[in-house]
Amino acid sequence: MSANAPMSNARAALVLATFLGGLVAGVVVYAVTDKGADPNPYASLPRAAEPAVTADVARALENDDAKALSNLLDATVLQQLQTAIEPLTDIRSMKFVGAVEKNGRVLAAYVAGGRISDGTDIVRGFVLSVTGDQIVGVN
Amino acid sequence: MLGLNLIPPLVRTALAMVFVGGLMGYAGTGFITTVVADSGVLGGGGESSPAHKCVIAIIQRDSASTRLCSQSPLVQRALQQQNVSQQVTDAKPLTLTYLGSGSTGRVSVHIYAVEIQAGGGHYQFFPLALTIVGGRVVRVD
Repeated sequence: MSANAPMSNARAALVLATFLGGLVAGVVVYAVTDKGADPNPYASLPRAAEPAVTADVARALENDDAKALSNLLDATVLQQLQTAIEPLTDIRSMKFVGAVEKNGRVLAAYVAGGRISDGTDIVRGFVLSVTGDQIVGVN
Repeated sequence: MLGLNLIPPLVRTALAMVFVGGLMGYAGTGFITTVVADSGVLGGGGESSPAHKCVIAIIQRDSASTRLCSQSPLVQRALQQQNVSQQVTDAKPLTLTYLGSGSTGRVSVHIYAVEIQAGGGHYQFFPLALTIVGGRVVRVD
């Protein structure tokens, strides 16, 4: 067959099939050999369930419920929360991302999504520290 | 080449296609997964490599953390450097737990819990929230 001869349908299909086969094989090889993120050189704590009191706070933030928030947190913790979520002015979503417990202290992490004063969408992460069903701090 | 001429043209073409397809599949997957993971474009559900490197540098008191963790102005980097040098040098990290992340657009937040045994038996259990924009850590809280 000369170089300029038209390619038969069967041959074109074979070329396409081998190319796609190679493509899939490349993806599979990457998936098998990829080590993902760098390994964690330290031990990890087991996950804990979302504490009820922090879930209430998250709900109050998402619903823009100032009264519920004032009942759940004291003035010091409220001030810490304000600092933690700055510069968010309009919270539109709250996501619980995980919690861990150690020595009776639970750290419950949340990501708040919303807008700042100029209308830009941002996310802010903060962690509620819980001891004995009481929120004792916000980072 | 003599060796290649011994292979039938159809087989040669098929081998070339498998090779080219394989390369494209491997490189393309690597590129896409890296870009997506680091930018948070698709929700940023997993741990980001820059966030991981930054948090490791912080808890290991690595002075390079200032370079890895921030593209902020010089004064902020200098302050971070000062904090690093003032921290107790014999602190021993006990655990590092990735809690999760959230994102919007190119901005993602990755949250960790850290346990450290500092000098004199002082124990610390605290969170770190790293904000990433376009694959770079821009803020550590």
